[in-house]
Amino acid sequence: MSDFYTPQLDPLHPTRHLAALDTPFGPRAVYDSVSFCNRCGSCQQACPTYLFTSQETFSPRGRNQLVRLITEGKLKLTGENRTLAEQALNTCLLCGRCTQACAGKIPTAEHMLELRRTLRSQPLPRLLFKLLSCRASHPHTFARLVRTGLWLRRIGLLRVARTCGLTHLPGLNWLNHADDILPAYPVRSDRDAWREALADHPTVPTLLYLPSLEAEFLMPSLALSVLHLARQKHRPFVLSNVSSGLFAYVYGDLRQSRRQLRRLILRHGAVQNGTLPLLTDSVDVYLFLRRAPQLFAPWPRWQKKARQFAKHVVFVTDFLPAKALSAGKSARVRLDSGALFAREGTPFDQARKILKTHFKKNFVECLYKDADVPAFGYNFVRGNLGEKICMSAVRSIARTQTGTVFTLSGLSALELSFYLKRFYPQAQADHLARLNG
Amino acid sequence: MKIPSAALHKLQQAAGKENVLTDDISLSLYAYDCSLSRTRPDALINLPSEDSIAPILRVLHEYRIPFVARAAATNHAGSCTALNGGVILNTAGLNRILQINTQEGYALVQPGVITGDLQDRLAPLGFFYAPDPASQRVSTLGGNLAQNASGARCMKYGGTIDHVLEADFVLPDGTEMHFSRRDPGPDWIGLLAGSEGTLGMIKRMKVKILPAAKHIKTFLVTFPSLADSVQTVSDLAAQGIIPRCVEAMDQVTTRAVEEFAHAGYPTDAQALLILELDGSPAQIAQDEKQLEDICLKNHAQQFIPAKTEAERQKLWFGRRAAYAAMARLAPNVMVGDGTVPRSELPRALQKVRHILDEHHIYASLLFHAGDGNFHPQIVFDERNKPDTIRVTRALKEILEACVDCGGTVSGEHGVGVEKRAVMAYQYDTPTLDLFTHIKQAADPLDLANPLKLIPLDYASKARPALPPEPSVRPLAQALADRRQAHAPILIAGANTCLRAKTFHTLSTRPLNRVLEIDKTNYTATAEAGVTLNELFEALRQASVFCALPQSPGTLGGAFASGCMPDFYPHVLGVEALLPDGSYVRYGGKLMKNAAGYHLTHLFAGSQGTLGLVTQLTFKIFAHPIRPVHVYPFVPGRVNPLWRALKTRLDPEDLFPALPGEPYV
Repeated sequence: MSDFYTPQLDPLHPTRHLAALDTPFGPRAVYDSVSFCNRCGSCQQACPTYLFTSQETFSPRGRNQLVRLITEGKLKLTGENRTLAEQALNTCLLCGRCTQACAGKIPTAEHMLELRRTLRSQPLPRLLFKLLSCRASHPHTFARLVRTGLWLRRIGLLRVARTCGLTHLPGLNWLNHADDILPAYPVRSDRDAWREALADHPTVPTLLYLPSLEAEFLMPSLALSVLHLARQKHRPFVLSNVSSGLFAYVYGDLRQSRRQLRRLILRHGAVQNGTLPLLTDSVDVYLFLRRAPQLFAPWPRWQKKARQFAKHVVFVTDFLPAKALSAGKSARVRLDSGALFAREGTPFDQARKILKTHFKKNFVECLYKDADVPAFGYNFVRGNLGEKICMSAVRSIARTQTGTVFTLSGLSALELSFYLKRFYPQAQADHLARLNG
Repeated sequence: MKIPSAALHKLQQAAGKENVLTDDISLSLYAYDCSLSRTRPDALINLPSEDSIAPILRVLHEYRIPFVARAAATNHAGSCTALNGGVILNTAGLNRILQINTQEGYALVQPGVITGDLQDRLAPLGFFYAPDPASQRVSTLGGNLAQNASGARCMKYGGTIDHVLEADFVLPDGTEMHFSRRDPGPDWIGLLAGSEGTLGMIKRMKVKILPAAKHIKTFLVTFPSLADSVQTVSDLAAQGIIPRCVEAMDQVTTRAVEEFAHAGYPTDAQALLILELDGSPAQIAQDEKQLEDICLKNHAQQFIPAKTEAERQKLWFGRRAAYAAMARLAPNVMVGDGTVPRSELPRALQKVRHILDEHHIYASLLFHAGDGNFHPQIVFDERNKPDTIRVTRALKEILEACVDCGGTVSGEHGVGVEKRAVMAYQYDTPTLDLFTHIKQAADPLDLANPLKLIPLDYASKARPALPPEPSVRPLAQALADRRQAHAPILIAGANTCLRAKTFHTLSTRPLNRVLEIDKTNYTATAEAGVTLNELFEALRQASVFCALPQSPGTLGGAFASGCMPDFYPHVLGVEALLPDGSYVRYGGKLMKNAAGYHLTHLFAGSQGTLGLVTQLTFKIFAHPIRPVHVYPFVPGRVNPLWRALKTRLDPEDLFPALPGEPYV
């Protein structure tokens, strides 16, 4: 965009970074994008971490300025500076509320990920990171590990470990939170139905379904609901245990993310010349896949393919009919818009419209500052802050006496369910796909 | 400067160790606000409670460390950057609404409360807080008071200065003070408003809340020229129709907004007004008819009322999108702020457009037509140095053009560091000297937000001081004689409050002219010695009214005695003789002025202790309005600030000593 020399965060490793960010006003280099921050502060009150800390260091404006100063070479990332910079960036929820509030639509979440890649910072607990990373490289092993883990939890081993304090050992703390939020072991009928769905290979599929990790392994009932929705008009084919590249994009190496995305694009292209819609049940995955072209900016051929691919990505809201609910149900409902990167756009508008049509006056519009549950495993990164934000969301739900909260991803539903069960059991959380059961 | 380790230790004791930060990253992130100014502080203190403010300031005072209070840092003038280094005191954590009292109509708040949050809390109770700066979703009430922020509703309801009832304040040496609007003596809250943290720190505020309007109607009106739109607003005021909001934009802005937000604005009109009426349905219906007639009389092209709430929101969406429409175009948007008398607005806007064209600058032009306040929004890229210099130069020229039109360099954004230099273009040396005296009285060590507001080395650059009017000269001479004789003097008007029987009384009665009744701007200018009866006669002849009551005494007495505090917001300009013989001029026909300390509020209720008020400019109305209440005369309550100011301005007590204190 600019005619000036554009400094880069990590000039020696260009492939580890995005060459340009896709913004509503065209592609921009990270430095250009971050320079569009006019420091007006409109984003401050939208940021959940700033609301809790009241410190510039934990605000979108501060984070953007941090990236700018580092890019311009005015801040050296050594010693204490590095630790504090990691703290500032790893506390970011990547939720995109700041982008929504910003007049220039500055993608702060993307800037944070770029800084994370520069610092090679790994915010997730090491063991959890290894486990989740192996989904892309060794999907069968991953599936086996998860199933074994769930079975061990079912027979009570995890509870015993928690009672003995084993889960408080360094590096194992995340197991506590995992145990808290994980749902009960799926019932046999769901498991069987899901197995059947996987075995069902329609000869001429009209839709590809990419189930999220949580839908496939933890909440088969969610995956089945989505399939049920899809089957009303399509013959879906399930892409089982396939990584979208989002995990590597957020927590890992961008090159891996590109590789996984490339694989997915090829797989999508292999069926009916890539003309089929690709359905996902997680808004995080949806938003990531829609942004796929920005990962391939230096490779025009791949970028073109990614653009074609992104056009075909759809979300469950495209399949939910917006019809009025039959009389009888009168509990108030609301939408938890917690997601990665964005909080406005098609899926959010559609979801709001569907709920408004369904529940009319019982649909509760959220206020400007109402918190959403942090998305995509943030509570494993910053448990303390994550808990405060979840509690704030619960408070807001209780204040409006909401009975049901619909989320746009399975993981958010799990997180929110846990906190609601503990602090406001009158309400429950569920994925929007299960609106009709 | 490096903060001594002993001072750091004491600060940690006062604020808590975790709240005192000196790391590189924190300091770099507290080096800016929404202006171009950037300076790193030496330490950052996140204030843990309001009670910690005084102890912290005492430590800073002990070690001579400058400090800057900073809340949301959304100001456009560079008011909260630490130019001299020192400590940033972050008040953003002091964000509790302590009490809302709908019976008595006030809210008690900490300075870090977000203005929009207070509105959200008041809305379900059927109340609202009237000042509505555009940044109200992110700016704080303390920041609003420090900058004297106002917004679209200013024409009808006034700015922050008019809505703070009480304030707890801490002077830079740690002295705690409580100011109330009902206290006799100068209007200290008025003086704090717009002081930009240069006099100390706000600790707690009691703000006025009002019952929310139940019925609101919004109109979009287009005009073939800016002059027509401004004349419409003047005519509305003349008819006694004060709209809740009067927002305007020129054609360039309308086109930019329409391209971005598609709000349905007609793009062929030269000027566009968004008008909003509130009140009872019958009142709105009546006003609407008159409004339409006035608009059509002034050649309105289209008069579009919003029929539904959705349509109303759409009209406002366009106005709110004006900033976003510019922000997407370039990395930086510099939002200028100038105010001129309403009648001068078309001429000023023409000059502004000319300057922008001359510098090849693309900018939108928004204005609060009711107040004569306009905001050029200039887009540029601060990484391009020549571009930045060009923009800065253009902005300076715009502000100078404002002053040339009888206006001020700031209507609501403040001066900070960005407009510091042009203050010398607006004010003469005696007035800037008085600003300096006020600053030094409150902060003799220059610790509170140093190097802001007052231009540096202004003696050679300031506007040449004009001699006082011929009618004032005899009084100036009498004052000089008394000063030479080291003999005190007592200022009196009609002598209705003081009932002084001394020979040393200096009467303002010779100043008995009503100088001007301006029915375009709806202001009147009169000398201080004119009696209220004489004033009413003059106003009656011009068929206009003012807020003063029919009572004995002079205009100057009504203003300076402290008996009519509700009249202070009506006073727009003041001229006064100071004890040292200098003559200061402040304000004029301006509906708002955020450049420098509010001298109108300093002299209001000062009971002749600080200077001799010779002339006042105040608001008048086309229809009778309820006169302000008259309180009995009570000698002012002395506080350390008043004492310090008196010592600086009048060390020999030429004017009366402070109430209850002996003469020097």
